[in-house]
Amino acid sequence: MSSLVIHDLHVSIGDKPIVKGLSLTVNSGEVHAIMGPNGTGKSTLAKVIAGHPDYTVTGGDVLLDGRSVLEQEADERARAGLFLAFQYPSEIPGVSIANFLRAAVQARLPEGEEIDASAYYKRLYAKMDLLKIDRKFTSRSVNEGFSGGEKKRCEILQMAMLEPKMAVMDETDSGLDIDALRIVSEGVNALRGPGLGVLMITHYQRLLSYIVPDFVHVMYDGRIVKSGDKSLALELETRGYDWVKQELAALPA
Amino acid sequence: MKSLIDSGTAATVENPVAGIDQTKGDFTYDVAYEFDAGTGLSARTVDYISSVKKEADWIRAFRHQALQVFQSKPMPTHWATRDLENIDFDRIRYYLASGQKPKRTWDEVPEDIKRTFERLGIPEQERKFLAGVEAQFDSEAAYSNIKEIVAKQGVIFVNSTEGLREHPELFRRWFGKVIPTGDNKFSALNSAVFSGGSFIYVPPGVKVAQPLQAYFRINAENFGQFERTLIIADEGSEVTYMEGCTAPKFSTATLHSAVVELVALKGAKIQYITVQNWANNVFNLVTKRGLAHEEAEIKWIDCNIGSRLTMKYPGVVLKGRKARGEVISIALANDGQHQDTGAKMIHAADETTSNVVSKSISVGQGRATYRGQVHIPKRLRGCKNNTECDALLINTNSRTDTYPAITVRGERNSVQHEASVSKVSEDMIFYMQQRGLTEGQAMSLAVNGFINDLARQFPMEYSVELKRLIDLEMEGSVG
Amino acid sequence: MTATTASLAPMVGAFTRAAFEAHLASLPPLPEWWLARKRAAFERFAALPLPIRTDEAWRFSNVAGLTLDGFALPAPARAVPFASIGISKAARLIFANGRLFSREILAPDLGRRGVVVDTLQNALREHSEVVREHLLAQPARLGSGKFSALHEAFLVDGAFVHVPRGVEVELPIGIFSFALGDGAAVFPHTLVVADEGARVTVIDYFGSQNDTERQLAVGANDLYAGHGARITYVGKQDWSHQALALQSNSTVVRRDASVQSLNLHLGARQARHESHSQLQAPGANSEMLSLTVARDDQEFDQRTLQIHQAPNTRSDLLYKNALLQKARTIFSGLIVVDPDAQKTDAYQSNRNLMLSDEAEANSLPGLEIQANDVRCTHGATTSRIDPEQEFYLQTRGIPKRAADELLTFGFFEEVLNRLSQDDLHAALRTLIQTNFTGEKVAR
Repeated sequence: MSSLVIHDLHVSIGDKPIVKGLSLTVNSGEVHAIMGPNGTGKSTLAKVIAGHPDYTVTGGDVLLDGRSVLEQEADERARAGLFLAFQYPSEIPGVSIANFLRAAVQARLPEGEEIDASAYYKRLYAKMDLLKIDRKFTSRSVNEGFSGGEKKRCEILQMAMLEPKMAVMDETDSGLDIDALRIVSEGVNALRGPGLGVLMITHYQRLLSYIVPDFVHVMYDGRIVKSGDKSLALELETRGYDWVKQELAALPA
Repeated sequence: MKSLIDSGTAATVENPVAGIDQTKGDFTYDVAYEFDAGTGLSARTVDYISSVKKEADWIRAFRHQALQVFQSKPMPTHWATRDLENIDFDRIRYYLASGQKPKRTWDEVPEDIKRTFERLGIPEQERKFLAGVEAQFDSEAAYSNIKEIVAKQGVIFVNSTEGLREHPELFRRWFGKVIPTGDNKFSALNSAVFSGGSFIYVPPGVKVAQPLQAYFRINAENFGQFERTLIIADEGSEVTYMEGCTAPKFSTATLHSAVVELVALKGAKIQYITVQNWANNVFNLVTKRGLAHEEAEIKWIDCNIGSRLTMKYPGVVLKGRKARGEVISIALANDGQHQDTGAKMIHAADETTSNVVSKSISVGQGRATYRGQVHIPKRLRGCKNNTECDALLINTNSRTDTYPAITVRGERNSVQHEASVSKVSEDMIFYMQQRGLTEGQAMSLAVNGFINDLARQFPMEYSVELKRLIDLEMEGSVG
Repeated sequence: MTATTASLAPMVGAFTRAAFEAHLASLPPLPEWWLARKRAAFERFAALPLPIRTDEAWRFSNVAGLTLDGFALPAPARAVPFASIGISKAARLIFANGRLFSREILAPDLGRRGVVVDTLQNALREHSEVVREHLLAQPARLGSGKFSALHEAFLVDGAFVHVPRGVEVELPIGIFSFALGDGAAVFPHTLVVADEGARVTVIDYFGSQNDTERQLAVGANDLYAGHGARITYVGKQDWSHQALALQSNSTVVRRDASVQSLNLHLGARQARHESHSQLQAPGANSEMLSLTVARDDQEFDQRTLQIHQAPNTRSDLLYKNALLQKARTIFSGLIVVDPDAQKTDAYQSNRNLMLSDEAEANSLPGLEIQANDVRCTHGATTSRIDPEQEFYLQTRGIPKRAADELLTFGFFEEVLNRLSQDDLHAALRTLIQTNFTGEKVAR
């Protein structure tokens, strides 16, 4: 059993506050979705959890299995079981997918222990087949020249190979057509289970029809303002984000 | 890498290049006038100029010292074009007071010049000035509004003589500091014989809304051979300055060697816009540099269309943290012209950024050269430079050269430089022709498209004139 | 005109007239035309001054390091530190201290097909005409005229490869030049002539036995690709870290011919590499690639010239440098397009990866274009490792140091990818990685 606890988190870029007191808990086996209009700080939240150096945490905490991750470097957090599926995955010219993943898998093994190459490739091909990624892609440079759909499938491939405890997915559906969306979702659903907690960040409800969440939260102006179950997503779809804004405005100060 | 560049011969110059050509016949002179410094340059000439202007001793001494430096420096032909050797310093007149200005009648102005004025839509009142028919441009009536506003904000806007005489406490501090006398042979020359030019001081926090123009100076020595400009923008102030115009400007003096110094104090912004279209007999050798302090910004927007040879490398010394420097340059070189321009960015503080965009068009046998220098020393962090220079060659024998030099130390700074050379795509021309445009119209459109993002950075009236000017230049090139 | 002995001294260092005469005396019988050229070369060498800081062609270089003192032509060597890089070869020539150490023809049919792989000394006697036409026939244009003259004067022996018309040599020809002993001066030379329709790959390896011996290496190569011929040239420079190395490479590409040259720079304390490609006839194509790992206080000075003399020619230059510790690099590249060379495609790209705070990269990309129907671009980028890419790898659990190594190797891959021979690609990749991981990345 693992948990990701975000407690009263405040984040700024320079002196501009973006996340203004966000709290959320994701436990193993749960799938959460955060929805919200553009500019509310959703992607910032994802990057901060992963440890991106451009952001300043000005208050609050992020705990993985009861331990604060804020003092840890991005790679330490990753080895501790955190995975970020990027909205805009980087292209890494000259570094093949095979070598890249191998380095990542190797990094998790204890000092001195070597990867079993044939077992590694067997696993890699199996996951690639599942995600309908041509096996020849192992020698392609990571994300270089990939279409939007191919990039996102590559993210899920990495998630499948690295077996994290907590996966944060930043707008995984952006730029995908229906077929790509279906394949990516099937990949994620295949990984769902008691050992994995998922936090999906999305603007549109569409993804949530494929990866059905247990909890849905609405983020607005740097905070979670409303929580519910999957039906909340459908309500947002029909009524739009303005409805939430109006509700908030109507609250006593 | 070649160290000497072969000079192209100027195909269409009939005038000798030095001094005033009195054999051409379409200029007349008033013979009787009070001040005459004569031709040639000596200590006497310098004394003469200083006396006429009633200058303080320190300025006179400054000029003399500059004269010595000028005489001791060799011509920079080990890297620059050998065409420079055609300048005969002894036959140049270094000082012309207003009484001496050569004149001609409107009838004597060549037809093609008159047609250019018409095509460019130059206002009637300006045509005579530009054609050398009138010695002074009467700016009083047209621009008195601007002068009033400017005075109210405490902005000082005078010519160099007045600036040094009336406000030494403001200008002396920076005069000759951004561009020291010994910087190059021509800055030394200017320092010895400078006259005219604008001295501007903008008080802290003042944002001058309207661009200040050279025209606004009354009592200007308008032929500006050796103009000296110094603009100081105090903390948090903003000012835009414009000089020149797209209409071809006549000069009987064939050497123009100006010096422009800009000082932007903390948080200030200076934008300096130049449109140069000197006639084809002019050597235009200008030294321009700005000093940007903390969080200040200096932007040079430069358009070079005329002259026989222009050598100009606007630069910014990024002295304070987070200072920004930018050079936007458009150059058009036609037959007999060589535009040798570029940019110099010297990074001297952390987190400074510089940006250079240069686009040149070579038509006929014109030649455009880009020379750049970017310097980022060790121990600085977070500095960035981006340089883009693109050249468009219109005709078969048009020519372009690019010579940037970039030095970066340390891993916390980055530089990106890209350059390309191309011609107008034939497919594009055909496509436009298929829609009914003539080849000439299509070329003009294509060329205007090439410089479009840069042209948009010029004030509206300039960019409109610029487009028309390009149409004119392109007409000759096709077929 | 010769200068007096006294005034000569600073300009010739150890390479005095007496040393030159001794060198001539040590040679076996060689054609008089060649000896006459060597004598003329010595006179030129002695008369030319050493480069100074204000010479445009040596801008940014450390000219103070160009000393000719304290070197001598070394005695023959008994053993060489030869280690195979595991690539099958058609032939192998090994030179030690300028003299032939061994020559093996490995592909059995090479001789029968008329392919000549021999020493220059033998070729001067047996293939005099071909050698005379091509050996050092192109002038040194990039600034090291004095050193080219020194090379020609003191050249002992080198490699000669001649592939006749229509012959395609499948396996590469390996040439190894070793400098052994403190103070050794060597003058390696490789001459490759590929006749009409011929194909050949040449690997030119330069090395010392350790990194402490002080040495001088002044080398040159001449590559000629005839009508429709193809040459692939791979150079690996790994001289002692106390060596001063100058290399002048010349490539002439004729109609529809294609030359690909890839140079890997690892050794020497101060290395100057000049590479000159002439695209002489329509359809000519030259690809100029370089990979440099600059560390400690090394200086790598690279000057290139792509000159297009005919229409429909193509050149493509990609030079990548990784800089560590206090290293310095200089890249100065010029693309010249003559007025008649319409429809030229010329590209030049210099990329510098800064891996330390004390390193310095200088770039002078240049263009002189006189024909208008062309596509020419050049670019120079100097930056550190992309922090976004670094972060991406870290989020996969890869520690920073390992991530930087991966990214640096990725940086080089783009160049290695241009090689069509996979085994060569793999061998070079291994070489770079070994060289690299031997030293920690300085952060």
